[in-house]
Parts: sequence; C-alpha cells; structure tokens
Amino acid sequence: MNNVIEIKGLTKDYGLGRGLFDINLSVREGEVFGLVGINGAGKTTMIRHLMGFLHSDSGKCSVMGMDCWSKSAEIKNAVGYIPGEISFPDVKSGIDFFKLQAEYMGMSGISRANELAERFNLDATARLKRMSKGMKQKSAIVNAFMSDSKVLLFDEGTTGLDPLMQKVFTDLVREEKLRGKTVFMSSHMFDELESVCDRVAFLKEGRIIDIIELSKIRGNERIKEYKIEFVNAEDYTSFLGHSFSVKRRQDEYRQVTINIPDDDINELFRVLSAFKVKYITQKPQTLETYFLEKYQRDAVTNTEVSQ
Amino acid sequence: MNGTLLKQTIKNNIGLWLILTLVQAFFIGAMVMGGKTPVSMTAMSYYALLPGLISAVYVIVTGNKLLAQQVDKGTMAYVLSTPVRRTTVALTQAFYFIGSLFAMFAIAGCTHIIAHRLGAGSISGDEVKAILLINAGLFMLNLALSGICYLASSVFNLSKYAIAVGGGIVGAMHLMSLMAKFNASFDWLKSFSVVTLFDIDSILAFSNQQVFSMTGHAAEAPDGTAFILKFCVLAVIGVVTYLLGSTLFAKRDLPL
Repeated sequence: MNNVIEIKGLTKDYGLGRGLFDINLSVREGEVFGLVGINGAGKTTMIRHLMGFLHSDSGKCSVMGMDCWSKSAEIKNAVGYIPGEISFPDVKSGIDFFKLQAEYMGMSGISRANELAERFNLDATARLKRMSKGMKQKSAIVNAFMSDSKVLLFDEGTTGLDPLMQKVFTDLVREEKLRGKTVFMSSHMFDELESVCDRVAFLKEGRIIDIIELSKIRGNERIKEYKIEFVNAEDYTSFLGHSFSVKRRQDEYRQVTINIPDDDINELFRVLSAFKVKYITQKPQTLETYFLEKYQRDAVTNTEVSQ
Repeated sequence: MNGTLLKQTIKNNIGLWLILTLVQAFFIGAMVMGGKTPVSMTAMSYYALLPGLISAVYVIVTGNKLLAQQVDKGTMAYVLSTPVRRTTVALTQAFYFIGSLFAMFAIAGCTHIIAHRLGAGSISGDEVKAILLINAGLFMLNLALSGICYLASSVFNLSKYAIAVGGGIVGAMHLMSLMAKFNASFDWLKSFSVVTLFDIDSILAFSNQQVFSMTGHAAEAPDGTAFILKFCVLAVIGVVTYLLGSTLFAKRDLPL
C-alpha cells in the first residue's frame, strides 16, 4: 500500500529542548495512526507541519506525495482538519459556518454536514458564539468530515466531548477507515486511540520514543496477566507454593495476580482444578499500561545512565 | 483573490467603514452646505486635520483585523484548511483594505463637490480639481499608512503587537505632523512623518486656489507641483509595505 503521510528527518527547534527532533514516520493508506504524548511533547507542532502552517528547520513532510509546505494549498483538497484550538470565523450559526467552509472547498452543498450534525446530536442552527465547548467541538468535527477528504488530521479532536459522543466519534473514524480514509490523530487519551488506531507513536520531548502496533497489545501478547481469588486461605497459600510468576499478592483478600505465558496456561488450570476458586479474570494489557511501563523503564534507564 | 473570503472580509469590516465614512460626509456637508465656503477654507479647517485622524482609526483597527487578529484568535485556521493559498488570503485582504480606503475618499470627495455646489450655488472646474486632488492625497496618505499597519498585521501572531507597532507608527506620524503644524519649534519633526507628504498647500496652488497659512495670513506662494512627487513617495511606501507584508505572511510560521 502507498504511504499517504511521509515524514522524514523533520526537525523544528524552538530552543530549550522544545520542538521536534528528527521525526521519521510514514502512514499507509487506510491506516489510523495515533500520536500520544504529554502536553508540550510536540503533537500539535507535528500536525501544524502537515498542514503547512509551520516551516521545518530541516527535514520534509508530505501528504499524498505533495510537500506539505510548498504544496500546502493543493493538499487541502484532500485533507480534513480539526485544529487543537477551536475559534470560528465571524459568522452567525453552525450552518453558516459549514456553508462558508463548503464554499471555500468548492462543494456544492452541505447535505453531508447536516447528516453528521444529526449523528452528533448537534443543533447547527445555534449561534456559534453561544455554543458550549462540546457543541463547538462537534461543529469542528462535522466541518472536518463533511468534505469527505481522503486524509483526516485531528489535533485532539474529541476534547470537550462526553463519553457518548466520543464513542460516536470513534465509530465514525472506524467507518471512514473502512471507506479507505487515512487518519492521523493526536490525543492524550489512551483509550480513545486504543479503540481506533492501527498504530500509535509515543512522542516525548519532541522525539518519537516508540511506535507500537495495537494488534500486538490487544489481547495478542504472549504473556498474559491473570487475577485469581480463592475461597479459603489454605488453597491460597498452597497455590502460592507453586512456581508461578507472581506479580502481586493481596493476602487479606486471598487474591493473587500472576503473569503466565500462553504455553503454560493448561498447567495453571491443572493446578487450579484442585482448589476452590472464587473467580479468575484476565487483565488485558492496555496502551496505557504499556506506555506507563515503558516510560518508567526509560526513566530508570536514564537515571542509570546519568549515574 | 478569493471571492468567498472577500465577501466575508467585507461583511466583517463594513460596519466601522460605514460609520467613519458617514462621519466624514456629515462633517463636510455641515461645513460647506451653509453658504459660500472657499475650498481653501475647508482645506485649512477640515482637511488638514479631521479626515487624517478619522481614517487613522479605521486603518489601525482594520489593519489588525485583516490578518493578525485572525491568526491570534485562530480563525485563520479555517480558511487555510481549505485550498486557498496564503498569498491569495493576503492579497484579498490587501485588496479590501485599499479598495475600502479608495471608496471612503471617493465618497468624501463627491459629497464635498455636491455640498459645495448646493451651498455656493456653483462650482468651478478648479474647485472640483482641488477637491478631488485633496481627497486623492488623503487616499495616497492612507495607502502608505494602511500599508504600514498591514505589514505589522502580517508579521505578528498577536493582535496586541500588531496594534502596538502598526498603530504606534501611524499615531506617532500623525502626532509629529500635528506638533509641527501648530508649533514652529517642532518644525523639524516634519521630516520624520509621512503625513507631511500630504501637501494641501501645493494642491491648492496647483488648482489656483488661495492658500492660507495656519495663522490665517496669506502665505508665500507654495510650489504647485511639489505634491506630485510626494504622491509618488506615498505610493511607493504603500506598494512596498503591501508587497512585503503579503510575501512575509505567505512565508512565515503560523500557530494555527
């Protein structure tokens, strides 16, 4: 498949360690790519480069083979964008805003915008100035999707949405992916990225420290975590006598959390069959736990290096 | 040029333009309609002072609104997320700015001519020439001053800086010109202000109108062609600042 978004050696140094440093990544056609990182990590700066708002110090980025800086206007024929900060042009209502944008885009009508507004339960006839944060965000989302662009760039596209609407948003992203759209989205909400992204890049201090395929995290990891509670203390102690890799013990509740490779799962069941088990539950690895562990590991490595 | 953007820009700026244009028309009408008021009289008591200050308000406020304020607020993101080039945005805004100033003084000039005709009962060809040239001069002056504000508006991300620099320069130039006009010991300030390039005396002499000094005595005959070169200087300042502003806006980083 073709790479729709290509970033090569992108560097933008704002001084004091802020900015972006030697970013390399490519996003395939039809892929949903997530960008995660704390505030100030460089997510917005990266998206602004893709939009042609910022000029890199060195390195290049392109969308559909067109350079993001020199061809920034042409690229917009294929790009839908949700800016990180929503501030609408000076028009009255949401509908007027969609009409204005449709006119700039050379679109014939705003029927798709109306459909999307309905889907997001947005009253687009309301005055923009009176809109709540959530309504404004919905208007910006509708605007980004209404032109049916091939590439979608979202800078924290769901801020201000309630969980129900976040679900509508992620459903929509998934549908668009099936229709062949390429999505590049930043967020600091792991669960949002986890539910839609194919890959997620972790940005820290302007550098990509990891890119992870989500299929590897979504229950496909070889070593899984199980939590078991026993009915009585004897079984609990007796179980601990076996050589399972124990991650956490909660003696007062007779609960134990173990890590176990898929190959040994039958051994676990054999052992457990002799005991009275209250419950057993698998704790899926989440993007969040993955990155938190990774982050802590990096922090430890860094301290070791500095010592 | 982009028609959609132009429409949007007109909609957002026409209010202030209309008020200030009407204020000027009202002042001229009120001064001239009453009876025979020689053009040179109006020039001294009105043109030398008020239109410059009124248009300065328009130039400073509008200059900021056209670019810097939209970058500051972030609304510019929506135009630029469509296939409209930055250069097109910059030139459309420049077209509106220059066009609106031209219309402002065209209306002022026509109002003066009509009011003069009604008040004095007749108007000579020289008087029409003087009125049109004075308003053309105000347009040229504002072309240069709006260019300065436009340039400031195109390079700053924050409204407050665009207003401080653009408005500061325009305000300072008007102030220096006023001080030089009212107090001879500040005459040297003239050479720092582009406002003095709007040479009413020269225009009046060129149109065979009597020229008064500020004290009301007949002044020594001014050079009737000096204003032409000064118009050219104002035009050059305008063209350079607008072109520079548009180019810089197309090339700089925008935090959108």
